[in-house]
Amino acid sequence: MQVAQSRARVHATEVIDRREPAGGVVVIGLRASALAAATRPGQYVMAVPAAGETPAVALGIYEAEEERVSLLFFIAGKRTRELAMLRPGDALSLLGPLGNGFDLRASDRDVGIVAGGVGIASVLLPALELLRQGARVRLFYGARTAALLVERERFERAGCETILTTDDGTAGSRGFVTEALANAQMPKLLLACGPTPMLRSTAEIALRHDVRAQLALEENFACGVGGCWGCVVPITGASAQAPPFPPTPNGVVYARICREGPVFRADELRW
Amino acid sequence: MVERGVDLGVDIGGLRLRYPTLMGSGCYGSGEEFAAFADLSKVGGIVLKSVTRLPRSGNPMPRLVNTSAGLLNAIGLQNPGIDWYLEHEVEKFAQRPCKIVGSVAGFSVADYAYVCERLAARLEIAAIELNISCPNVASEGETFACDPRLTAEVVRAARGVTKKTLIVKLSPNVTDIAAVAREAEAAGADALAVINTVRGMGIDVERWRPRLGNVAGGLSGPAIRPIAVLAVYEVARAVAIPIVGQGGIETLSDALEFFLAGASAVGIGTANFTDPRIPERIADGLAEYLAKRGLRSISEIVGKANLGFASAHEYEGDAG
Ligand SMILES: Cc1cc2nc3c(=O)[nH]c(=O)nc-3n(C[C@H](O)[C@H](O)[C@H](O)COP(=O)(O)OP(=O)(O)OC[C@H]3O[C@@H](n4cnc5c(N)ncnc54)[C@H](O)[C@@H]3O)c2cc1C
Ligand SMILES: Cc1cc2nc3c(=O)[nH]c(=O)nc-3n(C[C@H](O)[C@H](O)[C@H](O)COP(=O)(O)O)c2cc1C
Ligand code: FES
Repeated sequence: MQVAQSRARVHATEVIDRREPAGGVVVIGLRASALAAATRPGQYVMAVPAAGETPAVALGIYEAEEERVSLLFFIAGKRTRELAMLRPGDALSLLGPLGNGFDLRASDRDVGIVAGGVGIASVLLPALELLRQGARVRLFYGARTAALLVERERFERAGCETILTTDDGTAGSRGFVTEALANAQMPKLLLACGPTPMLRSTAEIALRHDVRAQLALEENFACGVGGCWGCVVPITGASAQAPPFPPTPNGVVYARICREGPVFRADELRW
Repeated sequence: MVERGVDLGVDIGGLRLRYPTLMGSGCYGSGEEFAAFADLSKVGGIVLKSVTRLPRSGNPMPRLVNTSAGLLNAIGLQNPGIDWYLEHEVEKFAQRPCKIVGSVAGFSVADYAYVCERLAARLEIAAIELNISCPNVASEGETFACDPRLTAEVVRAARGVTKKTLIVKLSPNVTDIAAVAREAEAAGADALAVINTVRGMGIDVERWRPRLGNVAGGLSGPAIRPIAVLAVYEVARAVAIPIVGQGGIETLSDALEFFLAGASAVGIGTANFTDPRIPERIADGLAEYLAKRGLRSISEIVGKANLGFASAHEYEGDAG
């Protein structure tokens, strides 16, 4: 895995479009050409709500093309509720791009992307990049119910095969997305973003089948830039992502998800 | 720094700052993390994350919980220990365009003296802040900051090993913060940082368990500002040494409250997580505020809250 580079800065952006793909889910498009140009798949921004809610909120970069960047978010609490009130013409400051992103340099031709819930926001850019490189991309996508499988057509239109699951069986097969993955013919590389239990079972499946997997972790961030050590995960001291710190006696180091990650190799996590 | 004919520079017990702002310990990394988006030449200084004698891996996750108008944290002093720190970290601080203040934490008086002496010996470090909100293993985990006698012991030990500016950071989790402040001053502190975080806890009502891995944490952000303003006001009346006021400062008006209460400089921690441009905005705002009133330096407003209501009525120190 590569390690984050500091090309981040504060971008003053303007909302140029807004839609709600489902109740409680919002996509806002922003005019942000410098940010779009600097973004790599799997990176995120810290969005600064106008009311100065502390801390700023971490959001994956959903789309980045020419002068436009978009964010896809679920209204979860007060900061996302406030972002949901933004309308075209409104200003929004974004700090980014942050984090290392997925390592797609030596990608295999058969890639599986596992996404659940808000994780979908961080996997469109890697999917597009892999398709551009000529890979077969299967999206294993799970949600509570059919209406919350937002943006699946966007992935299908781009050329992804989608394997859907819902908790209530209203779309795709009933059950967890990782069950669908376990039953499928194994891809050569797995990328995953979503809730921690989903990431943990994706990691188990990958290790069992000896498939490389890159997981984009989500935690509650404060600074989002590596300054507070509030978002750590244990990884092997041998990892290229190990922060420059002496390892503990058992060989584990705590890496900052926001700084050394958010994408980690499944076989290097010691969680 | 002279801006709009106003000198924003301050002297904190011998530590000269070009701007009256210090980035709070533990909130700003080593400065490098923020250098890409914040203008470090427009902050007075950075207080580094507290360092201890031995490496510490810190508390279990979760370490952060958002609360109404604040943030609960229980990082657990994760740090590489003083040996590694001196060898690998400290030299990087030489490149920062502002003053670097080392922060020392410990679990015994000897720990504090040892780390303080080694850190203060480095040229990159302009001053030392003592984070005394740690449990003392020798007295059943009572924190140093909660006992005026223990505070004095730690300060005396640190004073004995360095001539650099010594800032003692007081905890609000005490009944009489002025008494602790007096002891710290008498033991040789050059300045006081007021306040560290306020103890607190959050509970997950779905899963019936504490929301922080460490159960208890420290509350910071706007939620604690009134607590901090009063603490500065009380300490300023008790001691003659300068105070770095902090706790929930996000805006110019917040910072002004602290200066008027008696602080000579302000600490900014959690607000950097909201927007890293806040310290710069506060510095610009201060210059404008002072210039508009025909004032030429920060010192002209320090402690001036007493000109109002409180000077006419004897302040009794009770909450009612
Ligand atoms: C790298 C990264 C990328 C991310 N990308 C995205 C993205 O692209 N899109 C997206 O929608 N989200 C994303 N997230 C998640 C998002 O940052 C969080 O959901 C964020 O907390 C939302 O902030 P909020 O103030 O709206 O909600 P918060 O108030 O922080 O609430 C968030 C969640 O915590 C729960 N919660 C709040 N208070 C409590 C309590 N007292 N007890 C128990 N539970 C509580 C809420 O029910 C809610 O589910 C990302 C996170 C990270 C770290
Ligand atoms: C995540 C976090 C980590 C902190 N770590 C330290 C620390 O290591 N040493 C210390 O003296 N204070 C530490 N503090 C306290 C701050 O330096 C500051 O005194 C306090 O948060 C109040 O100011 P604020 O409301 O502006 O953040 C920490 C605060 C936060 C939020
Ligand atoms: S959120 Fe501060 S270090 Fe990751």
